[in-house]
Amino acid sequence: MAVERLLVPLSDTVTVRQTVGYAVQSGLERADSLECHLVVALPYDDAVPESARQREDADDLLSRARNWVEEDAGDADVTIETATLGADEYLFGPRDYAEIFDDYAAAQGIDRVVLDPEYQPGVTARILQPLERELDRIGLAYDEAPVERSTRRGRLTGSEDFDRLFATFMVSYGFYLVLGDPTYWFDLVTGAAVAGIVAVSLARVTFSVPLDRVQSPIRVVRFALYIPYLLWEIVKANIAVSAVILRPSMPIEPTLTQVDSRVRSGLPLTALANSITLTPGTLTVRATDQRLLVHTLIPAAREDLFDGGLEKAIRFVFYGRESAAIPSPRERDDAEIVGGDEL
Amino acid sequence: MIEPTPLQVTLETVRFWAIVVLLGLGVFFTLVSTVGVLRLPDIYARAHTASQTDTLGAGFALAGVALAFGWQHAAVYTVLLLFFVFITNPTAAHAIARSAAETGVEPVLAEEGETDESAADTEGETR
Amino acid sequence: MTPASLEDVFLVAAGLFVVLAIAMFYRAVVGPTTQDRLLAVNVLGTNTVVILALLAAGLDQRWFLDVALIYALLNFLMSVAISKFTVERGGVL
Repeated sequence: MAVERLLVPLSDTVTVRQTVGYAVQSGLERADSLECHLVVALPYDDAVPESARQREDADDLLSRARNWVEEDAGDADVTIETATLGADEYLFGPRDYAEIFDDYAAAQGIDRVVLDPEYQPGVTARILQPLERELDRIGLAYDEAPVERSTRRGRLTGSEDFDRLFATFMVSYGFYLVLGDPTYWFDLVTGAAVAGIVAVSLARVTFSVPLDRVQSPIRVVRFALYIPYLLWEIVKANIAVSAVILRPSMPIEPTLTQVDSRVRSGLPLTALANSITLTPGTLTVRATDQRLLVHTLIPAAREDLFDGGLEKAIRFVFYGRESAAIPSPRERDDAEIVGGDEL
Repeated sequence: MIEPTPLQVTLETVRFWAIVVLLGLGVFFTLVSTVGVLRLPDIYARAHTASQTDTLGAGFALAGVALAFGWQHAAVYTVLLLFFVFITNPTAAHAIARSAAETGVEPVLAEEGETDESAADTEGETR
Repeated sequence: MTPASLEDVFLVAAGLFVVLAIAMFYRAVVGPTTQDRLLAVNVLGTNTVVILALLAAGLDQRWFLDVALIYALLNFLMSVAISKFTVERGGVL
């Protein structure tokens, strides 16, 4: 009988074992022989320093998953293929993942994708729903593995909620007391009430990504280190732009450039785009995913942008020192001058 | 009243001149920014120089104010004010530039720009 | 030694900022596009915030800083709202 070909994207989650089990079982129900493709999608390409460790983790996961399939298959006719995908590109969002799965499926003649409900590639939050939407759009058949969620999950969400509430409360209470008088009892009481209301109503809006008890405070400290650097960049750029504007001939050279930045969307991208705009001489006109359309006024500002100093600094703030050492946009060919039709 | 010691007098003088220099720099960068907004050819170029007022113009002037208030509550206020200006103004500048792009205002570009202007125009009008 | 009082320095600086703000009005009036006017008004708003802070120091009125803080926030909201309005007419927020 026909061979059922399954694609199982893996990531290191609590439910990955069950997902593999379901894939093997459901595949064998539909057909006599099964070809099980286990793949790991790597979020970063090789240009990023963490890619080596990421690749080791992927190989480790794949060899474990291969053992699981052999265990579950028993005597049945199951062939196992493993692969790592996306090593040559930087995967940014659900759309990119859906596309590389589709490419792989087309190349290998895959019938069905079995998704882990907790699928979480890279550092971003779970992407199951947007990924399913993208797969629908592409028209690739998928199946969500019915896994038993461990009880750990409920408690985890509870503590995440507490973290958000606590952080929002402390930030708004602190702000209230800075504006008011921290030694006056009336301000202390009303501040607590107001901060409580703010925390309950806005905690989920303020922190859309779950906080990490270790990483988030470290990021705040790193951000504090980033501010002097940003100020220094602003002073340099201000002097350069002032010199150009005050010269009677005004030798400006406006260009539109397109830079593919290596930071994830959300807060990191906002911070990068705002820092670029805050530095005179460069202005973010548009941001679609990680692609920034930047208007530059003078060549010096454009060179600075292509050298990617701010991008490295933002990577330092959000991902740590190791991640800051990436090639500049110019070196990795992600920066180009474009015409007005890109607007 | 207690006679100020010579050290205090020197410190006061230093502080005075520091404030004068800070305010002077603030006025200077705001002046550059104003000249730029009046001189530069299009909205995108003007947005660059407008951010000079928001950064160093306001930055130096508010630093002067904070120094004048010294080590007290009002100085914290001033720093907070500056922080707000720094957070909000790039967002506003980006919103303005993006709205210009979406309503089809074409940028004046050096060299490469000329050939693409008609394309930019049609692109803008379809939006 | 201080040839002038600190208050006067702040008032003079505030005066200079007012002059620059008036010059900026030219762009707000002439335009030519809505965004040009908006940009000029946004810069005027920042100037106003700075002038308020300078007056707070020059006239020793601390509460001017409260006004400046609120003004800065309103200025930001106005710029974003009008930018959105020019793109999606009527569909603000």
